Amino acid sequence: MRSLRDAFFQHGKVADCPVHDCHGHMGPFYGAYLPEADPNSAVRMMDRAGVKTLIFCHHAALFAPDIGNRANIEAVRRHPSRLRAYCGINPNYPEAVARDIATYDDYPDVYVGFKLHARFHQIPISDDLYRSVWDFANERGLPVLSHTWGGSAFDGPQCVRECAERYPNAKILMGHSCHGAWDAAVDLVNSFPNVHYELCAVLDNRGMLEKFVEASGSDRILFGTDYPWFDYHYYIGAVLGADITDDDRRNIFYRNAERVFSITKARKKGKRERRGEWNS
Amino acid sequence: MSIEFWDCNCFVGTPMKAIHRPAPCAADLIEAMDAAGIQKALAWHIAQFDCSAQDGNALVSEQVCQSDRLLGCWAILPPVTGEIKLDGFFERMRQNRIAALRAFPDQNRFLLNRVVLGPFVDEVAERRIPVLLSLERGITWPAVYALLQDYPNLTCVLCDIGTWGQDRHTWPLLDVYNNVYVETSYLGLEAGGIATTVSRFGADRLLFGTGFPLRYPEASMLPLLHAHISEEDKCKIAWQNLHRLIQEARL
Repeated sequence: MRSLRDAFFQHGKVADCPVHDCHGHMGPFYGAYLPEADPNSAVRMMDRAGVKTLIFCHHAALFAPDIGNRANIEAVRRHPSRLRAYCGINPNYPEAVARDIATYDDYPDVYVGFKLHARFHQIPISDDLYRSVWDFANERGLPVLSHTWGGSAFDGPQCVRECAERYPNAKILMGHSCHGAWDAAVDLVNSFPNVHYELCAVLDNRGMLEKFVEASGSDRILFGTDYPWFDYHYYIGAVLGADITDDDRRNIFYRNAERVFSITKARKKGKRERRGEWNS
Repeated sequence: MSIEFWDCNCFVGTPMKAIHRPAPCAADLIEAMDAAGIQKALAWHIAQFDCSAQDGNALVSEQVCQSDRLLGCWAILPPVTGEIKLDGFFERMRQNRIAALRAFPDQNRFLLNRVVLGPFVDEVAERRIPVLLSLERGITWPAVYALLQDYPNLTCVLCDIGTWGQDRHTWPLLDVYNNVYVETSYLGLEAGGIATTVSRFGADRLLFGTGFPLRYPEASMLPLLHAHISEEDKCKIAWQNLHRLIQEARL
């Protein structure tokens, strides 16, 4: 049987090994020129790499309160069978947070959870200003993707630990896996069944994926790229280059995401999926 | 189509701080290259950065002499201190299979400009010897711009350009200086980075590199293999451009 490495190297994508990107963004951003940042470009790039699903939070939803989650809704509805969004939360504007939670159920075709980016918002993810979001996610078992970074007072390992203890039913996705505090990330995943690794900005550090798989197995590792920051083939190549098994790679590329986001269930509803009712 | 890969940005040696499976010697590097499918490499030695140019240069010479698939880079220092002997410098490069130079100005505490480097770098430029500068290792963008302002004909390869897209930094240099090149290990990380740069500047200005052993070689190979560019352009980036630069250097 041909290895995933050989298959991806030859064709760029593999039909029986879809990829779900659980950590993306959309639109321009001040920090860099992003040549492929609009929804059409995203889907084109996804097609080239066999990425079936991109779950993202638009930069504007996180950093431009005057636009907010409208950017997510508009982007997802341009490609409803391929894109889903995390509802972006900016705790500096509690009224907007309350409104976004109150209207969350109006967009079952758009939202699959929440996105926190405390590094920019400068309020710890364990702060009371996020409580309504965590309660909502905890009650429904929704994914919450948080940027996490080693040493951060806003989204470092201790903040993740507090949230994991308080909200055991929320699926906590550690964006960047507490980058740099790798041992702490391992400890969190091994201590809390609701905490997951996410690989964006991890995979340009050779050896970290091997460390995670060795310490925790491969069934709580989610593939993410920060698209449009980072290239699908770069991150897929890194997973292919890591010293892990193809079974591990399949867990990382699609099986774990299908479980966390109920994608398999939606796939069986083929007609509904084509109508964009992927996760309803 | 099978594409040959020559890696212009990898290091041999054991880092001061432990990393995942380094390549302490040439045989280890060759083994890793074989596993990834990389035919040749232009390598430097981590001791050039972690310890000293003098020790690292001696070590890289020892290692690259062990395989005809390897060439090496020496690190340079300001001529004024006499730590690097300039007498017969280029001939010794040739004898030791050293095809290019590297500089770590912040790490080694010198400025990369004409006041410090004087006619030495004029000769490097005149001989078309590539100088590789790692933006991850002791050099900033303003320093790169200052160097090229003083030595506009220098053959300069910008390596490890950064994890965020750096087109706003690299494109003005590619526009103005014909001998500036960008190594791809982080350009390939930018979504669409390779194709966008090729569409703007052609394929002659990019050199394939991996950042091994800090990064996975496959992570650099896959974006190039499947970039939205022609097969001819992929070959240029994967190995032909580096081959040309090595051929053009007069040692």
